[in-house]
Amino acid sequence: MAKKGYKSLKNHNLIDRRDFLKIGGATSAGFFLGNRFMSSRETGQNSPAQKTPPPRPKTNLEDALKVPKTKYSLPGPFPGKVVEVSDPKAMPDGKPNARVIQAMFEKGIGELTGKGLKESFGLFFTKDDVVGIKVNPVGAGLISTRLEVVDAVIGWLSSNGISRQNIIIWDRFDYMLKDAGFTAERYPGIGIEGLQTMDEAAAEGKTQDNSRWLNRDGVHVSAPNFDQDVYYWVDVEGPKDLAYLNQHVFNGKYSYFGKLLTKKMTKIINVPVFKNSGNAISMATKNIGYGSVCNTNRLHRPLFLDVCVEVPAFPVLRDKLVLNITDGLRAQYDGGPEPAAKFSYLYNTLFFATDPFALDIVCHNILVEKRKSMNVSVNEHPRFREYLHYAQRLGLGFTDADKLKRIRA
Amino acid sequence: MLIIFIPTAWAVENILPGNDFFPGWKKAGRSSTFIKADLFNYIDGGAELFIEFGFEKLTIQRYTKDTSEIKLEIYVMEGPESALGIYLMKSGQETPWPEIPARNSSVISQFTILKGKHFILVNNFGADQTLRPAMVALAKAVLDFVSDERVLSGVLERLPKNGLLPGSERLFRGPVALQPIFTFGEGDILELRGKTFGALADYRESSGAVFSRLVIPYPDKKQALSAYQHLQVNLDPYLKIIQRQENKFAFMDYRGKFGVVEIKESVLEIRINLNSHPRD
Repeated sequence: MAKKGYKSLKNHNLIDRRDFLKIGGATSAGFFLGNRFMSSRETGQNSPAQKTPPPRPKTNLEDALKVPKTKYSLPGPFPGKVVEVSDPKAMPDGKPNARVIQAMFEKGIGELTGKGLKESFGLFFTKDDVVGIKVNPVGAGLISTRLEVVDAVIGWLSSNGISRQNIIIWDRFDYMLKDAGFTAERYPGIGIEGLQTMDEAAAEGKTQDNSRWLNRDGVHVSAPNFDQDVYYWVDVEGPKDLAYLNQHVFNGKYSYFGKLLTKKMTKIINVPVFKNSGNAISMATKNIGYGSVCNTNRLHRPLFLDVCVEVPAFPVLRDKLVLNITDGLRAQYDGGPEPAAKFSYLYNTLFFATDPFALDIVCHNILVEKRKSMNVSVNEHPRFREYLHYAQRLGLGFTDADKLKRIRA
Repeated sequence: MLIIFIPTAWAVENILPGNDFFPGWKKAGRSSTFIKADLFNYIDGGAELFIEFGFEKLTIQRYTKDTSEIKLEIYVMEGPESALGIYLMKSGQETPWPEIPARNSSVISQFTILKGKHFILVNNFGADQTLRPAMVALAKAVLDFVSDERVLSGVLERLPKNGLLPGSERLFRGPVALQPIFTFGEGDILELRGKTFGALADYRESSGAVFSRLVIPYPDKKQALSAYQHLQVNLDPYLKIIQRQENKFAFMDYRGKFGVVEIKESVLEIRINLNSHPRD
């Protein structure tokens, strides 16, 4: 198992889409943000003896939604479209075959856009872009983003005129990138950047010396890496202990976006892995939603899966996240989000989409079927997928079955 | 619950095998230790389950030979029932390897082992078949020094045997362990308080249909009644109560399946995923 700076699936409440429609198909974000709990009550599902759940905390999501979209905004040029490319020769003996993976990449991009690699490049990028590749380094050695997939992405960008110095492999935590093999030696000329550091020794209680992560003013050394003008505000305080601060940089009501996103990168390619997180999934939207801001642990209990929708709703992601490639070369159907070798399997598949919510709901459904086929308990409560429909209501993606277009190449 | 203690008082660090537990294998770096407060730094998203079941300490040691690596993780839990709870959650359908001298569920990429209050993982993430002898030797070397406190009688025994599907048994002590099974409501909806163990299993009816049964023996009638009432009042909004009697109620879930909650003295029994309305 590998280290990771945020916690697991927590309880959360989401209104069923049908309930939403019953209460009038509200168009105002403010309406359904404030009433999602009440709404399922109003449908008369339950006896009056049952209590109403607590209200959802306030957020600044409406500020994000007011910002006009651009031509690059989610869900991108192919809303609802998900391309799935499989090749049984991708992982011979469990090891990636770079040549096969390159071919899968080319096929996937082509099927998604209907164009060749060069023309496809022009749909998403210009030569002046600074492109961030968001990987998932958790579970290094088992289920982290494969280097060969990232190689294919870099090759595509480079061959179309983006200089290597304008390509950045990034994650929230710097030390995890190294563990997963994303090093300067492996990727000469490419930026390798974490939004923050964390002192593992202090986190593990091996030292009382906090000077490696905390400066004399009591501020985390990674605090300057976050943009205090661009934030996801939620009316929930973070814990005030040093362990939390070490891991989360800030502990108030603000989750700041990394300056890497706000100041440096102009486009983002999201390359998550294919794995479960309890009954839900930890794929495209969690990789980007929880990986782009600090101070996230406080959000798990009141908002957990909604964070995967609301963080990408901010223009800093909404208008830059142009492509998602889910690495399902090796997948994991249970025991996640931490790596669990016993439940991992060779899936030899890559998924491509501009719409991360369509991508996630397709992958969610695939994973549920896999779990059932492996006799794993599956709790199919709507709360584990309703956040994806919430994204559709916000105009960020398509998730209704009749709006999805799944293509198997 | 009756527990036999075999007094082998070893600190976890002392049971870590040293170099050459198998020819050519060496420790790679120092061991790492995690306690309850920082377990979440190690396990992405999985710490709550361990803590809910009663986690005390985790020790990790990597071993290498040439380019091969095996990672050993030893979780010390509060007691054998806590370790059993984790083991049942993590082992999936058990696939025991007989050469490992303890209850285990193993594949080449990972051994999942239970002994006393210890839950042990031996990881070979590369799934390299040639590492099997070294992995087995490592497991044996650890197990030689692990005390064997056995649960002789526990909550699992309260599950009726008739119709029970072998391998489906699970323990739970809070909402995290319940989450993969069913959503009854928010938080500690069954008022287990991190202390009371419940058991569940799948059952096959004569019609062939499968349902799940949960049995929770509370310390006394008062706590059982409190949990029963709490559940009724705070039942998940997606569950609709369709029938109430003095000591039980029935509900329909979001898929149109049915459930029954029944209190019998200090025991709560719940059946879920029933295909038909339980009208008795």
